[in-house]
Parts: sequence; C-alpha cells; structure tokens
Amino acid sequence: MRIPFWANPRLGLLVVIVVLVAVFTALRPAFLDVGLTIVPMQSDLTVFVVVGLAQLAVLSLGHMNLAVGRMAAVSAFASGWAYDKLDVPLPVGLLIGLAVGALVGAAAGWTIAATGVNSFVVTLALDFALIGLVSLLYSTFSDGVAFHVAPAGLDILRGDTFADYCMGDLCGPPIPLVVPIALVAALAVGVFFRNSRLGREILMTGSNLQAARLSGIPTRRRVIQAHMLSGLLAALAGFLLAVNNGAFSADIGGSFLLPSFLGPVLGGTLLAGGAVSVLGTVFGAALTEVIQTGLNLLQFEVEKFKIYIGIVLLVALSLDRLRHVLAERRSGGTAAPRPAADPVPAEHSGGAA
Amino acid sequence: MTVTAEKLVKVFPGVRALDEATLRLEPGSVHALLGENGAGKSTLIKIMTGVLRPDGGRIVLADGGDAHFGGPHDAQRAGIGVVHQERNLIPAFSVAENIALSAVPQRFGFVERKTTRAIAKRCLDQLQVELDVDRPVSSLSVAQMQLVEIAKALAVDSQVLLLDEPTASLTSDEAQRLFTVMRALRDQGHAIVLVSHKLDEVFAIADTVTVLRDGRSVAEAQPLADFGHDEIVDLMVGRAHAVLELARTPVDRDAVPALELDNVSTADGHRDVSLTVRPGEIVGLYGLVGAGRSELARAVLGLDTITAGAVKIRGERARIRDVGEALRRYRMGYVTENRKEEGVFLEQPISRNIAVTVWRRLARFGLVRSRDENALVSTYQERLGMRLSGPAQLAGQLSGGNQQKVSLAKWLAADCDILVIDEPTVGIDVRTKAAFHELIVGLATDGLAILLISSDLPEMVTLADRVLVMRDHQLVGEIDNAHDYERTSQAVGRLLHMTGR
Repeated sequence: MRIPFWANPRLGLLVVIVVLVAVFTALRPAFLDVGLTIVPMQSDLTVFVVVGLAQLAVLSLGHMNLAVGRMAAVSAFASGWAYDKLDVPLPVGLLIGLAVGALVGAAAGWTIAATGVNSFVVTLALDFALIGLVSLLYSTFSDGVAFHVAPAGLDILRGDTFADYCMGDLCGPPIPLVVPIALVAALAVGVFFRNSRLGREILMTGSNLQAARLSGIPTRRRVIQAHMLSGLLAALAGFLLAVNNGAFSADIGGSFLLPSFLGPVLGGTLLAGGAVSVLGTVFGAALTEVIQTGLNLLQFEVEKFKIYIGIVLLVALSLDRLRHVLAERRSGGTAAPRPAADPVPAEHSGGAA
Repeated sequence: MTVTAEKLVKVFPGVRALDEATLRLEPGSVHALLGENGAGKSTLIKIMTGVLRPDGGRIVLADGGDAHFGGPHDAQRAGIGVVHQERNLIPAFSVAENIALSAVPQRFGFVERKTTRAIAKRCLDQLQVELDVDRPVSSLSVAQMQLVEIAKALAVDSQVLLLDEPTASLTSDEAQRLFTVMRALRDQGHAIVLVSHKLDEVFAIADTVTVLRDGRSVAEAQPLADFGHDEIVDLMVGRAHAVLELARTPVDRDAVPALELDNVSTADGHRDVSLTVRPGEIVGLYGLVGAGRSELARAVLGLDTITAGAVKIRGERARIRDVGEALRRYRMGYVTENRKEEGVFLEQPISRNIAVTVWRRLARFGLVRSRDENALVSTYQERLGMRLSGPAQLAGQLSGGNQQKVSLAKWLAADCDILVIDEPTVGIDVRTKAAFHELIVGLATDGLAILLISSDLPEMVTLADRVLVMRDHQLVGEIDNAHDYERTSQAVGRLLHMTGR
C-alpha cells in the first residue's frame, strides 16, 4: 500500500519552491539575474545539500550529529594546513580533510556504540570540545584565524561556471564547477542507502535495533559507519564552503547546524530513523536557499531573517506531522514512512509543504 | 465482601481467552486460581482489576450491584487490589511514599510526610511487618518489596487481594513468612486470591480452588480439601484434546546431533543443561513462563554469556558471539517470540524483512538489486502461503500470522539447518496455527533440526518428537512424545508440579 500522492513531502516542496520563486521574481525581477543570484545561489546550495546529507547519514539511525559544523571546521583546518605547510595539490588536501572528518565521525560513532549514551549528548559534548580545539589549532598553526592559500585550481573551482568553457560558439550552462561535486555526493549517498548492503543494514538498525541484532546485523559496527559517513560528508561540506569563501578559516561550519536539519527534515527524512530521502534533502536545502536569497533581495535584516527561518521550520514540521497523521488515517494502518529517494511523480500536482 | 465474576467472556483476535469463566470469592478465605499457561488466568485478573473490559458476563460486588470498571482506579475504589508478578514500585521513593502512592496526602499541593508515614505504618502493622518506612525501596530485598506491594494494596482499603505468583522469586523461608501474612489478612476478613503454579504451596494455604482450562472454569470455588494433587493436575490439563495427526518420518537417532548442549551453564542462571537435537528432529522445550527457556536460546546464540559447558554444532565445539556468527558460520537461526518487537521490521517492506539475512549473498559489488529480493519474496510467499499485496508492502500492515511467516522466512532464506523457534503461534488464530504446525513438521521432514520452545501444551504434543521440561533454569525431565495428548500432558504436568526438588 503506497501513501497518497499528496502526502509525498517532496512534491509539496517542489510546489512551494516554484511558488516562492514566482513571488520573489514578481517582487524583485533581479531574483532571476544570473550573475547576481542564480550562480551564487547554486554555490551556496552545494554546501547546504552536502551538510544536509551529513545529517541524513545519522538520521538514518535515528541519531543526530550536533557536531556537523565543528567536524567540518576541523577537516577544513586539516586541508588548509596541508596546503599551507605541505604544499599539496588541491585533491590531496581534499582527501586529507575527508579522512580527518571520517575519523572524527567514527570516534563519535564509537563512543555512542560503546557507551550507549545518546547521540545527542555525545555529539553535543564533542562539538563543545572541537570548538576549543579548532581555535587553538588555528592560533597555533596559522596567522590566527585562517589559512589564505591558493593551491592550483582553487580559484578556478571557486569562480568559474560551465559558461566559461566553450567549444566554438557552444558554451556550458551557468552552473558553478562545484555543483557536480554535490551532485555526485547526493547520488552516491542515495545509492548507498537504497541499494548497498551496508546502507540498508544501517537503515534496518535505525528501524529496529533489537530486530536488526537478532537478524545478524553487526549493529555496533553499523552505528560507527553511519557516523563515519556523517563526518566524511561534513568534511566535504566544509571544503566546499572554504572553496566558496576562498579561505580555510576557523568560522567554517559555524552556521551548519540548523541547515543540516532543515534539508533532510523538510524533505521527509524521519527523525526516528529507518527511512531517508536524499532527493527530499536536495529539495529541502533548495527551499531554504530560495527563501534566504529572496529575503536577502527584499533587504530583510539578518535578525529578522533568522526569525523567519525559524518560523518556516516550525510550520513545515507541524504540517509534515499533520500530513503524516492524515496519511496514516487514510491508509488505516501503521505509519507509512517513505522509501529512500524515490522519484517525485511529476504528473501529480497539489500538496503542501 | 463477596465478589463474583460471572460467566466472563473475553475475545482477542482469533482467540477466546475467557469462555464464561466464573470466580466466586468469599471474605475470610484464601482462594487458589489455577490453570496451565494460556488457560485465561491473567485475562481474568486483568478484568477483575479493571485493566481489560469483558466482552460478556459481569462482576457483582458485595452490595449486589454490577461493577463497571473504566480502569484500574475504579477497581481499586471498589476494593479490589492486586500484587502483580512484576514489581510496580518506584525504587527511588521511600517505603512510605510507595505505600501511599495511590492516594498521596497533600496540603497546598505539597506531600504531607507525617500522614504518609502514618498510613504506611498502619498498613505494615496490619501485616505485622517491621520495616523502616523511610528506607528507599531500592534497598529492600525482593521479599520485602513484595510485602510493600501488599501494604500498598491495603492502603487503598482492598477487601479483595489478588496475588499473582507471589512466591516466584522468594526463598522458602520468605514464602513461609508471606503465608503467615496471608493467613493474618484472611482472619481479618479479606478475600485473597492466590495464583500459583506451585501446587505444594497451594495445598498448604488455600481453602477453596477454581481451575481454569481453555478459558472455562472447570472447578468453581470448590473446597480444596476435596481434591488430591493428581486430581488437580488432571483438571488443569484436561483430556480429550484433539491432536492433529501429522505424518512424521522417523528420526535417525544415531546421526550426529546438529545441535548439542553439554552441561551448559549461563550468566542468566541455567545450570548444567544438556540436550541434543538431531537433523530432522523436533525437540520441544516446555516449561512455565519464566522458567528460562528463551533465555537459554539467547545464550546459545551469543546474546547472553555461557559460563560453563560446551555448545557443539554438528559435533564440533562452537563459540558463538552473535547472531550473525550463528547464522553465517553455523547456519543456525532464531525465530523470536517477540514478533513485533524483535522479529520483523514493522516499518520496512516485506522484501527487506526477508532479505535482511542474505544481502551479503545477494549483493554484487556491494549493491543489492530489488529484482533478486522480489524473487526471494515470491519463493517464500508460495512456500509458506503468505498473503501479501506485494513485496513492497510494509510488514506492519500484515496480520500476526503472516508477520510470523515473514519472521520465519528470513531464516529459511538464509539456508539455516538448525532453527530455534520460540512460541511460534502466540496470538495466532486456530486455522493459521494448524497451517504453521504443518509447516514446522515439513521443515523437519526436509532435514532441519528444530528446537521448539512453546508454552502451548497441545502444540508440543502435536509437533515434538521429544519434550524436555525446564523448571527454574534446569531441565527436570524428558518425555518421549507419542503424540498422545493424555499421556504426554500428564507426564509433563507431573514434572512441572513435582513435589519438592
């Protein structure tokens, strides 16, 4: 039995995004200006999609990672340090950052699996410790707050879009070069949870820990692996933000926490674990980005803007819960969580976020 | 106070748990309520204490009026108190606070300590028990906690007191002390209901007896002195149970056992348990709830610690650390008794529920194709006769019987040749139950070694080749089952209710 189409959160998100884009464009035609908004929006979006995926990786277990931002910061430090002191090429620095992120994530996962302490508490404590560590590292190894490094290729990755590359008269679309990185990450995470044995076993562990254990799944190892993936993706997000900013600085990841939940949760990933939606996460992040850019263009102040984002999240979550209850009543059975990353049925319309 | 439960009926999906059962209680007597597992004792108690509502019949109170209990509170107000098998005390609270819990004396929203203590003292005095009312309950012994629970029931002025297996975790000295308390309460005019499986103590203390069998009262409030030990056992197990005849191929008793326990002791308290299960054999493990049967299975599967003895699989000594190892290395599976909590993933599709044990085998380059999974689902859908709308249907939407089949299918898919099946037909309707029995026999005929844990005696008689009886974490006997209900059930009954030990 499938859930009714209007209960599909991804469809609702798409509709809301389209409506908002239309509204913002009507109010400020500059919203569709390629150089001013479209390109920067995409660059920002890549970061938030990956941040959302980092959170999604542990939401699959019903866990949380409150240290996503600081995991990104530590990894960005590692990359920046490698570029500054070791003069490594761009991809090597990235790999070093990813390795550090995965390691920190695995440490968090190991602590949770070994002690049985709630992930919320463990990652909260970890976040606190890493805040101190990151500023200490930067003050010891850099000029204080950032590495201003430019390994070969960094500026191109940061500034160019595919429109800058032409074959004769045929140029690419105005899409920043960082976008494919996020796309590949999203695709990989989607396949991981949908098709791979490991990803599925993580979802089963999140769905029912005891049943997973009694089905022969090594649940502890899966918990560690999910957190490791979360750290890895946080590191990737940190790297992408550093590329966008042009510097590996101590404040990277400082604004990651809320968006990390916004994307997946708006997209229909359950906080309870056992079901994730990668496509929903992409849409959720896109919605957040559209609202942010629109309100920016309408010249809202930062403080007011934060109020709006907070309200949007609460409203979206309440509606999501309502929709869930309605769908449950309609199907007359158990709660029906959505399967991972299934495509939005494009022929349907309607629905609400 | 005379309280009568008249012709109570309670129907659960597929099961008639109570079928016009009657319980007549007189003040100033100790009344034993007896019956095998599943006879309906718990259901009767739950109705008497307002936890469940009857589908038929009525409860008549002392004043002649009918009782309509909306919840446990109403039953309490009507003077019916209960001490459950599981502890219902708050460990961090003091004895006094626990006793006065249902009606905490307050003033301006604050607890009045003096009155609380006075209430507790009065109740403990009534029991003639000396106990410091300010001690936290967590520091008490099990026996003392039991007394606190009884005091708690007295605090709300219970005239009827239901004690569910009160001596299950007491030493015999402590039990004797409890009986003294019970006699004192009886002499004060309380009506006491004793639910117990220990016939010795029933004969030692009870005045009257009601025996339940299959939801019916086969002896109603009769003087216990009229019965002998064996007569009670016969009443409890009954006779003339139609046993489903299933063709069994004889087991080769000289074959190397698929599973063998050699003097196994566990951290959970099992001592020197030895048993063998041969390929093609169904060995039943029977006992009362709490005898330690599931716990033994869990220890064998590495979920609890084995402290002594050896587990041998196909003749070789095995060390199993978790279910994954049992499955992959020894091809042994465990169909749990807690279907909904541990057996299936309610919020996941059936395909994943079944394929979860074999993803390792299905995966190509780490990826699983749903085509392979769906093929697996159709195989077992046909073989086990599951009614599904499709492989994507969520397991939570299936009936109990079909969920149980899913829970079994994942082990069959994993190609297990040793299966521990724990309470396979609890809460399953009669027709599906028969189908399940045929299925289990079919598996044995195919050569699987099956260790069957069940509290359902007719099921045991139908399925098992041999029945092992477990009591207090030890095996107390073995019965060659000739699929004759009368003979096997009486042999089992004698082992379970054996005098002394």
